[in-house]
Amino acid sequence: MKLGWQKGVLYVAIIGMEGCWLYALMALLNKQVAGGCLSVHGMLIVYPLAFIFNMLLQHLRCPKACIWGVSWLAWALSMLLIVKVQLFGDLPLLDSAWLLSVPRSIVEVIYTFRPELLILLGTGVMWWLGRRLSYLKVDFGALVSEFQFGLLILLIAFFAASQLGVELASSVPMVLTFFLFALLGISIAHALEGTSWLSGLYQGHWSGLLLITISLVLLLGLLISAVVTPGFLQLAVAALKWLLGLILKLIALIASLFPEPEPAELPPATPMPEMEPSEVFKMWTVPESVRSGLRIGFYVLWLGLIVVALWRISSDIFSWLRRKLAGMAGAEFESLPGAFRADFLGWLKRICLKLLGLRLPIHLGARTRAILPEVASVRQIYRQLLHWATAAGWPRHISQTPYEYLHALAQLMPEVQGDLDLITEQYVRTRYGALLLTKGELHQLRQSWRNVSQNKLKKRGKYKWIK
Amino acid sequence: MDKVVKEVSQEIKEAADRLTSNVSKVIVGKKETVELVLVALLCEGHVLIEDVPGIGKTMLAKAVARSLGCSFKRIQCTPDLLPSDVTGIHYFNQKASEFEFRPGPIMANIVLVDEINRATPRTQSCLLECMQEQQVTVDLETVPLPRPFLIVATQNPVELEGTFPLPEAQLDRFLLRVGLGYPTEDDEGEILSRFQQENPLDNLTSVIEAEELLEIQKLCRQVYVESSIRSYAVAIARATRSHKDIRLGASPRASLGLHLASQALAAIRGRNYVIPDDIKYLAVPTLAHRLIAKTEAHLRGRSAGEIVGEIVSTVSVPVEEQR
Repeated sequence: MKLGWQKGVLYVAIIGMEGCWLYALMALLNKQVAGGCLSVHGMLIVYPLAFIFNMLLQHLRCPKACIWGVSWLAWALSMLLIVKVQLFGDLPLLDSAWLLSVPRSIVEVIYTFRPELLILLGTGVMWWLGRRLSYLKVDFGALVSEFQFGLLILLIAFFAASQLGVELASSVPMVLTFFLFALLGISIAHALEGTSWLSGLYQGHWSGLLLITISLVLLLGLLISAVVTPGFLQLAVAALKWLLGLILKLIALIASLFPEPEPAELPPATPMPEMEPSEVFKMWTVPESVRSGLRIGFYVLWLGLIVVALWRISSDIFSWLRRKLAGMAGAEFESLPGAFRADFLGWLKRICLKLLGLRLPIHLGARTRAILPEVASVRQIYRQLLHWATAAGWPRHISQTPYEYLHALAQLMPEVQGDLDLITEQYVRTRYGALLLTKGELHQLRQSWRNVSQNKLKKRGKYKWIK
Repeated sequence: MDKVVKEVSQEIKEAADRLTSNVSKVIVGKKETVELVLVALLCEGHVLIEDVPGIGKTMLAKAVARSLGCSFKRIQCTPDLLPSDVTGIHYFNQKASEFEFRPGPIMANIVLVDEINRATPRTQSCLLECMQEQQVTVDLETVPLPRPFLIVATQNPVELEGTFPLPEAQLDRFLLRVGLGYPTEDDEGEILSRFQQENPLDNLTSVIEAEELLEIQKLCRQVYVESSIRSYAVAIARATRSHKDIRLGASPRASLGLHLASQALAAIRGRNYVIPDDIKYLAVPTLAHRLIAKTEAHLRGRSAGEIVGEIVSTVSVPVEEQR
């Protein structure tokens, strides 16, 4: 398997998955907010365009800030182009009216949500996603996260559409396409990491088997969707109603067997004397605003309990499935305990940090110790080395120790072996030995990293773990 | 890490080098095995040497004992060996008209239990208390064993007729299981040359005294173990408990052993901190003998060592995140 097309397929899978949920979301917003006047397909072009453009930008030898600026400038231009083509096609290009419509839509957001603002926000999100994808290390974990996140967004979009009464066109092909890309991407990523059955006994025919498996899964999905029709569901509901009626009749029959108590005459009601509420009572009267707040809190609590119950039930079902699958002969089951929770919390954390624009010490789920600046520098340099070697096609295997990885890297770059030795040695000392470097040692380390990073490691065209 | 600890680690390394070079006068080309025996010695653990006859198992144990200047006793296990032959007995002294305790061969600093699997389970079991609690109970009287205390047991994995396989409780008490393996061609020639005139074991002198060894054992416990390294050791031990080919995984005693052994190995190699390589290196000798592989795995020809190696190659080493 060659690196080029493997990585290409993985990128295509992610673009496909994200494209599907972006399409669903944009179609919903287009109908609900912009009255369906925008072309969602036209806007979606921005996403692959952003990915390709940012991939190309990475090859430029410019400062990061410059690349960042060029990237977002390109977004602004493409956004304006979409506004012009989709909303102001009949106006001349030099007319300032269509140019001013975008800032006007931002100003008027308090009164109305205009289609220009949807284009602005939609293309902004797509451009950010495309840019993020161009920097993303595409592996099995990334594919699984994308799948989980995409599925969640799709479900939310469909739920919102059904609640708002919006008809989403071609939703079934969209879901099938989403699953096709997800299955394709996850299975290839899994096979690449050498832990899949595809990399074992059936390695020779893996692509054929993969396609057959995906086809079978999709076929099964189609069959289920063909069988479970609205008519079928109505029939099932009618059957349930009939069963419930039968049970109620049975209960009524049992109740009729017992004699009914004779109704006793109630004494006439005495009128309540009109009394002014006492001062103490008035003092404890809860104002309406507080009661409204408490009511909302109560609903949120109930909603939270329902979500927790659903999560618990689904996790129990998954555990049962896992036990069943683990018992199957020849089956391999990979458990990802807490993966969804960790991904979701990580996503929330990143959103919070992005929104605040600050690096606040928010730690959801895990606590980290404060690291001394000298230690942080050494670890940062080693992280850069790992990132750099991974980008060059020689990633570290998870089970490789720093010295094992050094041995492998030194074979690839014998000319900088001394520098690699030093970086690894100092990293091991600070990371595992809690030893601090002197200023001189730190300077020497930085120099070594400079020497290594200037060394041009040729890509070998093979995506495999170095041993 | 302060300067004192750095100097201490250098002292341990020097002592270890002295011992290794002394043992190497007798045992040719088996530095790794000698190092592992030294690891067990510094952790107050016990070693099971498993290999075919004539490899030098007994010679290694004797050489280590001589190099330490400690008392050495040998127990040759046979099916008719009784627990009292190992622990000692109370006999009636007619002169003094009272019962006296005559200590068995277990009352020594280094005890070679040769061909341990030839002893009956009853006799094997009498070693359990000695190995774990470093004491022996004879006729309701508990006698502490001399310190340092190291049991070097040997067993032959090929000849199984008339042997009693060691129970899991016994195996779990051995810190390490090592093998010597056949020497290389050059090493075998060197052995013939050295043993031509006389046995070099006869001229071996002690290079470390018992008191110094006890001090080094205490210092080894001070070797720094970073929390992620500890978690790595635990992850490996835990992975053995859920592996599909393993019926009985590693016990907490095994993970504790791995932790202690890694401290000793780091000290022997002149470091005052443990690195993931130490854990990886020691995983097979520390864990493999404590595991029970499933019958299907045995039939497929998979050994416990191979399974531990596979586990080690899948557990994530604590290094920086790449993303």
